[in-house]
Amino acid sequence: MPLLARFRSIGVLGVLLLLVIGAAALTPQHTFIQEANLKTLLALGPEFGIIALGVGVLMVAGEFDLSVGSVLTLCGFFFIWLVGSGLNPFVAALITLVSGIAIGFVHGLVVVKARIVSFIATLGFMLTWRGLAEILTAGVVRSHNFEQYPLFTQLVTGRLGGVVPMQLIWFILFAVILYFVLQRGRFGNWIYATGDNVEAARAMAVPTDLVKLTCFMLVGFMCSFASLLQITRTAAFTTHMGTGWELQAVAAAVVGGTSLRGGRGTMVGIFLGALVIMVIDNMIGQARLPYEWTYIAFGLVILGAVLLDLAVEKQVQRATA
Amino acid sequence: MSATSSANGQELLKMVGIHKYFGRVHALRGVNFSVNRGEVVGLCGDNGAGKSTLIKVASGYHMADAGQIFFEGREVKLRSPKDARALGIETVYQEQALCPHLSIARNIFMGREPTTVLGLLDQSRMNEESMEALASMGLKLRSPHALVSALSGGQRQGVAIARAIHFRAKLVILDEPTIALSVKEVREVLDFVRHLKDQGVAAVFITHTLHHVFSVADRIVVLAHGCNLVDIRTKDTTVDELSDIIARGTLGDAAPTHKPESEAAAAALAQQATCEEDTEAEQEI
Repeated sequence: MPLLARFRSIGVLGVLLLLVIGAAALTPQHTFIQEANLKTLLALGPEFGIIALGVGVLMVAGEFDLSVGSVLTLCGFFFIWLVGSGLNPFVAALITLVSGIAIGFVHGLVVVKARIVSFIATLGFMLTWRGLAEILTAGVVRSHNFEQYPLFTQLVTGRLGGVVPMQLIWFILFAVILYFVLQRGRFGNWIYATGDNVEAARAMAVPTDLVKLTCFMLVGFMCSFASLLQITRTAAFTTHMGTGWELQAVAAAVVGGTSLRGGRGTMVGIFLGALVIMVIDNMIGQARLPYEWTYIAFGLVILGAVLLDLAVEKQVQRATA
Repeated sequence: MSATSSANGQELLKMVGIHKYFGRVHALRGVNFSVNRGEVVGLCGDNGAGKSTLIKVASGYHMADAGQIFFEGREVKLRSPKDARALGIETVYQEQALCPHLSIARNIFMGREPTTVLGLLDQSRMNEESMEALASMGLKLRSPHALVSALSGGQRQGVAIARAIHFRAKLVILDEPTIALSVKEVREVLDFVRHLKDQGVAAVFITHTLHHVFSVADRIVVLAHGCNLVDIRTKDTTVDELSDIIARGTLGDAAPTHKPESEAAAAALAQQATCEEDTEAEQEI
């Protein structure tokens, strides 16, 4: 295997380490590596990271989901509305997760059956779901007291052994599960095959439509799960949840070595890519730079990653010729 | 009917009176086609002759609108590629056969991955059996982990064919296996077809290039405008005679001076006439 392709994951790890060192050195009073900030980073970051894991798997299958921020918002609304109406938080969480999966199912169905390019279809849903969430809340900020459910909050936003944020545990747990599904499992081989050459996969009786549908449902599930984390943490709902996350999630996957054309990507890479985006986001806040800088940073990160991806692909092609 | 249909249990695949419409296009007009056990049949014809449509019907990709298909003497309905594969009909498509960014082993077992008790891929079995399957085709590749994109065009065909026979195919359909290959690679692919034959696997070899198919096929079937044109043993004809017929797309009607050069060609001429009558009859309906 060509050099660049083989060391892709190690490369991402290198980028991550450089970023961490850079952030530690450059933030005022080195706030980045102070305990309080690391705890914040590892508690808030996974809300995005979990979604990025799902988006990465979907991209390996050759599809995009640009609606993740809006699905997060809509599911967040469902959750706070359900607990607000007096439902047991576990039941409310279950209903929220099911509704997230159902939304993913709708996305997948539109892409697979109506044959609309997923980039466009989910762009439409991005507007639709956020609009719906805004209408349903009628602009009112809803809050809810989650302290009345100690067991639920402990599981979702607590700290394991008083130190490790539960969000980080969930993030790692999902990454491990998805590693086995994607890279070690039968269904994973179908995901790769579907993304790499859908015709070949279909000719070998791989149920490519089902594969895509399932990946969209995974993303829906991850969005709804992240909404549980965020709503429980903030104890409030606004319609601005997850704005900009759709492209950041794509960036995380691409930084981690996932191909924009599908068929290539690893769970380790996607996981590290998500960490890179989480660190950049946090670092800009800690450096007291205006939030607009994150747009520039992510723009450059995406461009750099895509250029690297092209270089890798070229090397692979040359090795072929 | 033609030089071939000796039905004494030797017939593996037999397709009778196959019709296929795409909207108003009548792509197959009552085509007859058969393959005997262990036989290599070349399927030729100009663009739009119906070769691809015919093999897509045989591989379950398209369903015939009319006609019968027999496999090992039993009438069968092929509703999907899965049905065809269950019978032992494997199709190797030209460009779409493999996933370039996946390993050889993952490609060979695509859609039929063996798993361990834990439900994970049985990778050691996949790797071992992949190498065995490649070796049976006379193909020596370094590692089952190599990506398909790192292989030559000829080697890729080898992987696709090895995959087909590893799953005990009785009939392998090769869709333009030599298209866009170098001379050396074409020779490799023709060797793979001989390996197939040695193992008693029948093959249908679709091609534009008569020279390629002539060296490996036992029999050649030529289609034109969705009808049978020629069905002849390779040893009873020549490349020149066949390419002449394919170029003209007809045996005699268009060129009244042409006299069929062999008995088989004459038989095929009669068959073509039947096919055209059918077409007219249908248009009246």
